[in-house]
Amino acid sequence: MTAKVIALCVLNVAVALLLSPLYEGIMRKLRATVHSRKGPPVIQPYLDLLKLLGKEDLRTTRGVIYDAAPALALGSVLLLAMFVPMGESPPLGFAGDLIVLVYVALMAPVAMMLAGFASASPYAYVGGSREMMMIFTMEPVLVVALVVGAVKAGTLGVGGIVDWQLTSGPSPSMVVAGAAFLLGLQAQAGKLPFDIAEADQEIMGGPLVEQSGPRLALFRWAMLARQLVFAFLFVEVFIPWPHTGFFPLDLGLAMAKALAVLVLVALVDVVNPRLRIDQGMSYFLRVGLISFVALAFAVVGT
Amino acid sequence: MAIANSTAARVRELFGERLGSRVQTSVDPRANTLRIQIDKASVREGTEILANEMNARFMVTVGTDRRPLTGGYEVTHVFSVDADQLYVLLVCSLAPGDEQICSITPIVPGASWAERELFDAVGVKSEGHPDPRRLMLADDWPEGVYPLRRDFPYNHRPPPTEGVRPRLLDPPPGASVVPLGPFFPVLEEPAYFRLFVEGETIVGCEYRGFYAHRGIEKLGDSALTYNEIPYVAERICGICGFIHSTCYCQAVENAAEIEVPPRARYIRSLMLELERIHSHLLWLGIAGHILGFDTVLMQTWRMREPVMWLCEEISGNRKTYGMNTIGGVRRDFPEPLSSKLLDTLVGVEKEAVAVRDAIVGDTTLHARTKDVGILTNEWARKMCVVGPSARGSGIPIDARIDHPYAAYNEIPARIAVQQTGDNWARVLVRVEELVESIRLVREVVSAMPGGPICAEIEDEIPPDRIGISVVEAPRGEAIHVVITGGDNRPYRWRVRAPSYANLQAAPAMVTKDSIADVPITVGSLDPCFSCTERFELVDVRSNRIVVYSQEELAKMAHRPARPGGTP
Repeated sequence: MTAKVIALCVLNVAVALLLSPLYEGIMRKLRATVHSRKGPPVIQPYLDLLKLLGKEDLRTTRGVIYDAAPALALGSVLLLAMFVPMGESPPLGFAGDLIVLVYVALMAPVAMMLAGFASASPYAYVGGSREMMMIFTMEPVLVVALVVGAVKAGTLGVGGIVDWQLTSGPSPSMVVAGAAFLLGLQAQAGKLPFDIAEADQEIMGGPLVEQSGPRLALFRWAMLARQLVFAFLFVEVFIPWPHTGFFPLDLGLAMAKALAVLVLVALVDVVNPRLRIDQGMSYFLRVGLISFVALAFAVVGT
Repeated sequence: MAIANSTAARVRELFGERLGSRVQTSVDPRANTLRIQIDKASVREGTEILANEMNARFMVTVGTDRRPLTGGYEVTHVFSVDADQLYVLLVCSLAPGDEQICSITPIVPGASWAERELFDAVGVKSEGHPDPRRLMLADDWPEGVYPLRRDFPYNHRPPPTEGVRPRLLDPPPGASVVPLGPFFPVLEEPAYFRLFVEGETIVGCEYRGFYAHRGIEKLGDSALTYNEIPYVAERICGICGFIHSTCYCQAVENAAEIEVPPRARYIRSLMLELERIHSHLLWLGIAGHILGFDTVLMQTWRMREPVMWLCEEISGNRKTYGMNTIGGVRRDFPEPLSSKLLDTLVGVEKEAVAVRDAIVGDTTLHARTKDVGILTNEWARKMCVVGPSARGSGIPIDARIDHPYAAYNEIPARIAVQQTGDNWARVLVRVEELVESIRLVREVVSAMPGGPICAEIEDEIPPDRIGISVVEAPRGEAIHVVITGGDNRPYRWRVRAPSYANLQAAPAMVTKDSIADVPITVGSLDPCFSCTERFELVDVRSNRIVVYSQEELAKMAHRPARPGGTP
């Protein structure tokens, strides 16, 4: 039993770490195709990370928060991966793991925001405050969408919600909640029209403007892994069908579905300009309303 | 010209009535130009008559050091009565030793930079100017050294002043400063917008530019000859260089009364419109990029390539064609190319219309550009804004109509005007102009007359004449003023690029918007920083002047970018 848990933990972390740059590479290729460009090779994100990891570690300032933020960001995302089902129940799952998941999911953006505030640059400061406003409006969408599943399944365990979905089939409230989650995914992945906190042309990368070399690599890797883990969470909780019970096949299916979701995210990214922070926030207030509608459905039992 | 004549008569009459004997002379050297010489005390009154009663638009101030000729300085304010195709020059000669003149900025706010530059360059102070700080000289440039005076050699390097600080404004109480620059992150160019913000809302803004002056005007009156200047003028701008070489050549042609052959005029129009097409496509891409919409950037720049290739086939270069010379052009338009040109334009037009329709229908773009960066009609008039920025605010001015040049008398342009004055209006004006320019190229090619491409110039260019010329650049009206000199070069060559006028309006446009709107608002002016940076003489950072010989430049150009690569 413990051996299986450890093996699954290692596998989930490995998927999040090693597969995410490949998915990003595919998304970049797609972007290039829409741009009429040839684009870099699919493995480019691996090369970028390797190159950054080999560079000198330059810091604009000192301080515990600033020093620890990159490791905290990547570490929290890897921890998150262990609470997310990937072809099998989440390895660290327990009866109330949904609550832990929501908290752990928040750690990476908060680490980035804090690094922004700590890095003594006006652009990073503006980016950090935008990140904070985005977290405030994005996070309820995520939480409410997951709570819909919890209400329906009568459990606060992510594995339990997946099992309930598999046995009872699609329901209107879960479809609406899934739609809200999918709309939120675009912002969780930091893609247009919601890359407001980074906004290269306005604030030069926002919270990351003063990050370089290995520190930037860790932040980048954390963001890539995070978007993949969120894609897994979405496909496993909201569209877990078909489920064969044969683990390698289920894992492969989940990977394929996650890829499809990220391709969709990349397509939305490439055909949209960036919104302003107030416009982004009012958008998420509307999406939040959708998720509350789903919650209402769930409470009355549909 | 009859309209211009009657307007000129009216201006003269008004001046006679109000100022009486204080008008020293008033002559019209050419049918479209009226030169009024007044005494120093009447400059403001004269400006009031022109700006308020004649509805004339301020264009540029030319300060000339005439001490070697008359003992004093001369200041010329150039105005345009747009509807009547008339230039009015308000000329004021200062007595020897006098270095002061009345500021006209309180009447015409758009003259602010021109008067600050007048002090920086020539050392004539404008009394009563509301903001008499230094404009374009480096912060460590010594006080009392004026580079455009005749006794200042073009290659002189004054020792820098130690311990000076930038002369910047203080933010209003309660506001903090968000710097966008001096390396402007949006366009990756040297420009400095200091935003005074409360939260994300902007309550004020200061623009500081001119970080990379090149001393081109000074070179024009001291180191270059008439026929060398077009090639330097073309290098004022990296996008619309042909505008500047055309404008300079026309100014000299005006001054010397040289008749340009019709074919040369048509070729100029052709190249000007091709330049407008690729410049507007470039701008559209950059505007998309500013909003994070890189698909627009990639697609418009791909569409732009065939136009660049056409330019290369006509002139030998994608950019900086080197085709203009005084009296005409140096390269003929190869007739066999016209069918290929028209074919290419069919493709460009199809894609341009597709892009226009896609942009007009994109609601997220509306959200980012409508009611953002508003330039009101009143403020645009006060700041003397030109080009698409003026037309987006309901001011129907266009140099191609107001002061026709090249072939625009025969083939007039239809201009697009929008009333709202926001970023969206400026987008619409430019996409309409893009399609219109394609039409103009077609008309020009099909109506192109035969004959010589350059006038025979036998006589020397007569000294001490003034020539004014405007060209509608993609960004607005560029103005060149040439006062001819005796030693085969201008006595004074004054350049005013369109961005110089438009950037002055930028601070008011971003106020009350949020920080996120600044890039697109500034971008919507299509500012060309290189156009405004023509003046300074010394690289202050490295503090040295490097002169490369032709051989060294050729060697650098042919050095492979990486070892082992092909040159």
